[in-house]
Amino acid sequence: MDFRRIYAVIRKETHEIARDPVTIWVSFLMPLVMLFLFGYAITLDVKDVPLGVWDADRSPQSRRLIDAFAQSGYFTLAHAIADERDLTVALERGDIKLALVIPQAFGQRLARSSPTAVQIIVDGTFSNTAQIIASYADAIVLGASPPARALLKPEVRVWYNPEMRSVNYVVPGLFGVILLAFPPLLTALAVVREKETGSIQQIFASPLTSAEFIAGKLVPYGLIAFVQILLVMGFGLVWFEVPFRGDLALLLGVALIYVFCTVGLGLLVSTLTHKQVVAMLLVLVLTLMPSFLFSGFLFPIFTMPYVMQLYAAVFPGQYFVELSRDIVMKGASLWDVWVNVAALLAYTAAVFWLAAWRFRKKVA
Amino acid sequence: MSRRFLSLLVKETIQFSRDRAMLCLILFLYTAEVVMCTVALTFDVKHVALAIVDQDQSVRSRELIERFTVVEEFRTVGRPVTEGQAGEWLRSGKAVMALVIPRGFAERLGRRESAPIQVLLDGTNSNTAAIARGYALQIFGQFERAWAARLGHVVHSIEPRRRVWYNQSLTFASFMVLSMIALASMMIGVIQPAASIVREKEAGTIEQLMVTPISVTELFVAKTLPTLVMCLLAVFPSLLVAHAFDVPMRGELGTFVVLTGVFLVSAISLGVLIASVTRTLQQALLVSFFGLFPILFLSGTMVPIESMPRGLQLVSLASPLRHYMEVILGVFLKGAGFADLWPQTLALLAIGTVLFTSALIAFRR
Repeated sequence: MDFRRIYAVIRKETHEIARDPVTIWVSFLMPLVMLFLFGYAITLDVKDVPLGVWDADRSPQSRRLIDAFAQSGYFTLAHAIADERDLTVALERGDIKLALVIPQAFGQRLARSSPTAVQIIVDGTFSNTAQIIASYADAIVLGASPPARALLKPEVRVWYNPEMRSVNYVVPGLFGVILLAFPPLLTALAVVREKETGSIQQIFASPLTSAEFIAGKLVPYGLIAFVQILLVMGFGLVWFEVPFRGDLALLLGVALIYVFCTVGLGLLVSTLTHKQVVAMLLVLVLTLMPSFLFSGFLFPIFTMPYVMQLYAAVFPGQYFVELSRDIVMKGASLWDVWVNVAALLAYTAAVFWLAAWRFRKKVA
Repeated sequence: MSRRFLSLLVKETIQFSRDRAMLCLILFLYTAEVVMCTVALTFDVKHVALAIVDQDQSVRSRELIERFTVVEEFRTVGRPVTEGQAGEWLRSGKAVMALVIPRGFAERLGRRESAPIQVLLDGTNSNTAAIARGYALQIFGQFERAWAARLGHVVHSIEPRRRVWYNQSLTFASFMVLSMIALASMMIGVIQPAASIVREKEAGTIEQLMVTPISVTELFVAKTLPTLVMCLLAVFPSLLVAHAFDVPMRGELGTFVVLTGVFLVSAISLGVLIASVTRTLQQALLVSFFGLFPILFLSGTMVPIESMPRGLQLVSLASPLRHYMEVILGVFLKGAGFADLWPQTLALLAIGTVLFTSALIAFRR
């Protein structure tokens, strides 16, 4: 390894990146756009759900129940339902997400303090929100019931994220996603481009060794990735006020390993093909989609079937997302998370070994 | 249609069908990816790792615990002796929730006093935490009602009876299948034309096409028609996947195909637009992702639209995928036809027209 030669490759690559402002802008803007969308939009706090009411009773009691819905802040009265058909049409068109049906004689029965029921009809299209909306509605109905003595007194304490803000877990997860989305794409394209244009032959003919070539290619893209992390971290902590409980040095150290890992993946992809389009499609399927879907970033891994858990374990995203959340949210130390760190190190070593092996075979 | 247009169309079609990598990707996105995501991805929270600390060791506490162990929402990972140990499990990630039943629980219940009970919850994933908390409170409620019935008094006089429409079992599967199909159309629709045009730009062959007597409009159509047809065809294998997952098809297939075509015009126009403003494949790709991400995000596939802030809800009206998602969910799950879907159809047409015109103008240059 000759550092002068590596430096030369780095300079060449940096020039190439600098000549391409689109790439730079997208690399730095995209993580921020992602952060802001995820930060503002992912929230399961249900608010202002359009509610339809079919009040067949029209008694003071039924109006009190409807008021309880209107004043809860979770629902807005969007539609007064007249009959069965009206109900069907309103739900079908999506004008309302939830319908409250109060039967005749509801008020009378309540006044006689005999048990009665109301119907809550939920649009189950998006099952997750449906579940949450329905449980809120249940709670409002039960709350509006004449008081009874509580027999259990549950006290729920939520650790690490007491207000249950989603942005607190989105930001540390996003580090993992961004680092699995960008560096492999940029690295793979950078190498394959040279293959496509044939300029890689000149490099092979030069005294540059393949290790030096790889190192020179990795450094600029690794740097871009690192700046991306810092940007997301900075905006996440300052703008979204995500609490940072752990050791910053530990997080940055782990992130460094992870950057190596993802850049290595890009390199590995680049050894599989000599066409840019194919490289891009491989990156799309092998890193971009899994980074979103199978890293535990949005969809928790423990709910997946076992086979898919194994599939998720093939990608490095899961290890880093977990590490990052443990460090940022739980304030974990190296001792607490050494298993994942070891897994990530082993993974990175394996990726580089494979990439180097494939690369050498091509040269020889 | 002139002969030269036809020959160009033939050339583009051949080129498209030769591109094995792209065809593989299309097939992959429309089938394998749909299957994998449907099987694996769900916001339905099940098998939450639960640690149980039973300091009471009574018949009552065991009754309550049994209600937690029999449901599939929770998976008992062990019974730490102290609350401190349970906390340690939460910290290490071994458990997500801990149920702590303090000493004297049964005694208090027997004396008809309210009995305190503690739940520790790892809030790291706020979504999981919120749902797990809901489950726990529901189980407490059932226990309370059962106990009250035994004591002979009514706890709540109004009983909420819940009914779910369109998705009785509240599974995420139907939603996931349909949204992955919509997503596949969107991604292919943008990336394929963008890549194919930029490739000709990079190779310089587009200049050769420009000097031929073929008009720009003809070139535009020839470049995009194969993608449109291919995407429409690719929908059919994914319909089989949908069928395998028991997604109901309550509406008309024709409605679905026609509106898919309308939607694809927007996607493809966006792809051409991107190709017109970029020079290299790398740029085209990055800009595609840059454009695709907000469109996907604001479509309601990842996050329900009604839980977004008002501003974003307004912006989401510009995402063609949002309207298409409403179409596809409406046709499949609710059996909606054109009569119900006209607002979405109009929106798709409007977005499509804007994108198509700007793509055509940009492409001319």
